[in-house]
Formats: sequence, C-alpha cells, structure tokens
Amino acid sequence: MSRRPQGLAFVGAGMAVLAPGGSVVAAEYLSLEAAQRAVFPEGTRFEPVALSLTTAQRQAVDALAGPQPPRGRLGAWRVEGASGSVGFFFADEVLGRQDFIDYALGINSDGSLRTPEIMAYRESHGGEVRNLAWRSQFAQRRDGTRLRASIDIKNIAGATLSCEHLTGGIRYLRALWQIALNTVPQAAP
Amino acid sequence: MATLEAQLAELKAQLAQLQPQAQKSMAATVDAPAAATSMESPTPVSAAPALSWFGYGELNYTRPAAEPSQARADVGRFVLGAGYRFDERTRLVSEIEIEHAISSSSDPGEVEIEQAYIAHDLNAGMRAQIGLFLIPSGLINENHEPTRFYGVFRNFVETAIIPSTWREGGVGLQGNSAVGLRWDVGVTTGFDLSKWDAGSTEGIESPLGSIHQELALAKAKDLSGYLALQYTGINGLKLGGSIFAGGAGQGEPGFTGSRVSLWETHARWQPGAWDLAALYARGHISGTAALNEALAGRPTLIPEDFFGWYVEAAWRARMGKPWPLVPFLRYERFNTASSYTMLNAGAAPQPLADRIALTGGLQWQFAPGVIFKADYVDFTHGREGDRFDLGLGYEF
Repeated sequence: MSRRPQGLAFVGAGMAVLAPGGSVVAAEYLSLEAAQRAVFPEGTRFEPVALSLTTAQRQAVDALAGPQPPRGRLGAWRVEGASGSVGFFFADEVLGRQDFIDYALGINSDGSLRTPEIMAYRESHGGEVRNLAWRSQFAQRRDGTRLRASIDIKNIAGATLSCEHLTGGIRYLRALWQIALNTVPQAAP
Repeated sequence: MATLEAQLAELKAQLAQLQPQAQKSMAATVDAPAAATSMESPTPVSAAPALSWFGYGELNYTRPAAEPSQARADVGRFVLGAGYRFDERTRLVSEIEIEHAISSSSDPGEVEIEQAYIAHDLNAGMRAQIGLFLIPSGLINENHEPTRFYGVFRNFVETAIIPSTWREGGVGLQGNSAVGLRWDVGVTTGFDLSKWDAGSTEGIESPLGSIHQELALAKAKDLSGYLALQYTGINGLKLGGSIFAGGAGQGEPGFTGSRVSLWETHARWQPGAWDLAALYARGHISGTAALNEALAGRPTLIPEDFFGWYVEAAWRARMGKPWPLVPFLRYERFNTASSYTMLNAGAAPQPLADRIALTGGLQWQFAPGVIFKADYVDFTHGREGDRFDLGLGYEF
C-alpha cells in the first residue's frame, strides 16, 4: 500500500487560507495612544499621575496584590470624559517567561475593571492571552481579591505563565488603585 | 489692556499646542513596585535585558514492580535556555539539554540542542521562525516542562507515538487571532527511514523516535510539511489538531518512495478545579513492503501503522494557596505496530497487541515553578512495565 500525503501542497494551501487580512490580527504593536483609545474610548483627556507611596501604603498594596511576577515600567493616567473623571488608565509590564508583556488596563471610578489590552507580546509561546474571550474575564470585576489565576480567571493551557503573570499584574494595579488612587469610599463588592 | 489680552490669548494657544506632547511624554512615576520606573516613551520598547536565561529540569526515581533490582535514580533532564532580543521584533530562542547527568562514551547521557531558532514578528498576530524548533503536535511537545504535565514521566502516547520532544529544522509561520484561533504551518526536515535498526527494540518503543534526525547532520533530500490548528476562544477549553507528512527515504538506495505521516487531535477542558484532557494520534509509514522483505527474520520490522490515545482527569485542590495538590488518573491505549504491509510472499507480520496503561498519581507544586510528583503505572496485561515513580521538577 502506498499513500503519498501532499505535505508541501497542504502547507501552501494553509498559507493561502490563513494569510493576514483574514481572521488574523493584522495590527502592529499597540501604541500607548491606541491603547488609551481602546480602553477608554470616551476619554477626552489623559492626565499623567505622579504618585509616591508611603511605606504603609506600599505594604498594604503588597498584601492585597499577593505574589507578583517580575515587573517593568508602570505608568498611570487620570482619565477625563465629557462629564468629568471616568477612571484611571494604566500601562504596565510583567514578565512572561523570558521577556516583558506590555499591557494596558482601565479601572473605572467605581473600582470595576475594563478589559485589558495587550500592547506587546514577545514570548515564543503563550500569545493566546491576546484572545478577547480570555481578556474579557476581567471586565466589570470589582473585588480585587477575586483575581486569582486558574481559580477566578480561567487558564489557557499552554499559556499558563502568561495567564498567571498578567493576572498577578492586574491584581497589583487594582490594589494600587484601591490604596493610593481611590478617593471615594467603596461599598462592599 | 488689548495688548495684555492678545498676549494671554497667545499663551493659551501655545499651552494648548504643548499639552498633547506633554501628555505623551510625561507619564506617571508610580514608584510603588520596587522595580518600576517611569514610562517615558509611548513606544513599546521592552525594558527587559536583551539576554535572558531560563531552564527546567527533572530528577526522578523509578522502581519496576516486577524487577525491584532495576530501580534507578536519575537526573533525567537538565536544560538551560538562552534568549536574546536582537530588536523589538527579532529574537533567538535556544535550549541545550543534558539527559542522564553524564555524557561520555561509557555513560548513558546525551547532550542535545533542543531548540535553536530565530523568531521574527511580522505583525502583532503573526511571526516567522527559522532554525531548529518544536513541532506543534499534541499537548506536550511544546509544553514539555515538568510543571506542565501530569506524571513523573511524559505519557506513553506522547512518547511512543508522538516522539516528544520532537523538533525539526526548517521555516514556519505562526498566527494568533483575537478570536482564539492559532495556526502553524511550515516546511522542515523529516524522518530518515534508513536509520531503522531491525536488530534493536527501539523501533517498537517509538517508531518515529527511532528514525528522527533532530537536525544532527540531518539528511534533507526529502522535506516535510506541517499544519496545526488550535482553538482557545472559549475560556478553559482548548481544541486542536495537527498533521505532519513528508518523504523519509532521503535518497538512500532501496528507500525510494518511503513516506511518513503523523496526525493527531486533542482537547483539554478545565472547568473549575477539574483539568480534563484527551488525545488521539495516528502514524503511517508507506513503502515498507520491500524493506521488510529484506529484513525478514529480524526482531523489529517496520510497521505500516501505529496509534495511541488517552484520556486524563486531574483535580486541583486549592488549599488556600496558589500551589495546589493535584491527584490525577490517566488511561492510555497505544500500539507501536498495529499493522504491517503485506509481504511479497503473501503474508504480513503479526501486528502487536494494543497496550493499555493506567497511571494514577499525585503532584504538589509547593512553590511557583517547583513540583514534586509521585505515581504508579499499571499495565493491564501482566506486570511488565508496572512501576512506581517519584519525581522532582522545576522550571524557571
């Protein structure tokens, strides 16, 4: 019996069907401005926030945030809309496995989260965290203690480190907002 | 007064012009995390060092039930990886592996380059890679670190049928879409059927594992192609499949027309504390009749078909910590020679019987990236192969 699978033929066909411009995300890395527009489309003004934490605040943030992956740069902006303040925008970096994942997060004035955006992903495996379905798990969550990888936020098999570290980073940002940026007393989530 | 008003208007206009620039460049300095610095540029240039190190390892103890004298303790794998970012879009991924602690002419160890490729991002959702890389086949091959699979050793199907850790040299493309579809396609080196050793049992243990080339002066007259699709658009669910096919004669006399193909499909579902997985894989080697005629009477002829499948269930105990205790159970059925081609004499060699293995165990990830494992393997036909295993694994 002799079967002859057309290996190179199906490679060519696959490339034709799945070329960019189809279902593939064809965008470049997400710039800061594009991320701000994506997370807060109603934002009219993004005002940089300079913030230094006291030792007590730092300890409180660390306690709320829990174990953290290695982190890179972090920036925060107060977001104004047509009718006043709508929340805070963060651009953050957490380690994936070898390199930093750049992502953006919005936190509304009531403490609820917006869907994070991946600004740059540089790892060889785990790019599935770009999936909208996975990122959407964070939207509307208000309880910062309920941001646990694989428990509250479902994992993507094969992208475990990226899922865990992004979830940890977002938990940190929510804790930072609660301790240092929130000016309105919060009701129980 | 009119002059002052004019000057004020001019200043307001200048301020309005400057404001967007300031907004771009003056990001916040949130010094809460110890390592954080101000983000001064809106361009996504990584703050991480260009050179990075990573690795994993497995230390294990295995005690065969029928032959306790064959109990062994081993540094199964010691792997160091280095990554280097040439620019924001281009990077090196490399891993060097030492198996069984010592590699010399009188020791059982091996030194291997497991990965060595350049990846280049074409855009945010697609990248090209060239070099020695892992074939996207099954659940383990690309995720073979000990913290990512259940059991002290990799399962039988993804060892005997899919020859994990399976890598080839070539070029490939990978895309990820926002709806959760990942695709991989590429052209690579393939198998070399002339390596088949009919006098050893290696081909029975893993038909493809005995004829893979691992880009070690790999014969490359015949190339292969692969296509893999994976869907993770529903949280907690992963569905995928792949096919790899190509020539395996490599221009060797008598092997003309020999081809190898391997396809598989897999699913993994993680509802709540449960982690459920299933995989089916099937391989085919064509053009073996004349080869087996020449090998008649030798212990290990070349099979035409081989297959395997498994189902696996694990339950992750929370224990109030992110490092759970996980009991698991896996049922596997596999056959490394389920059929042979008919020989010219009109008879075909007797295929092997399917092997069924039940593996149950417990693993405890007691720190991030460090895992302790214990399991017991029970083959349904006799005690051969039954064993007790202990393992320590790490990944960083």
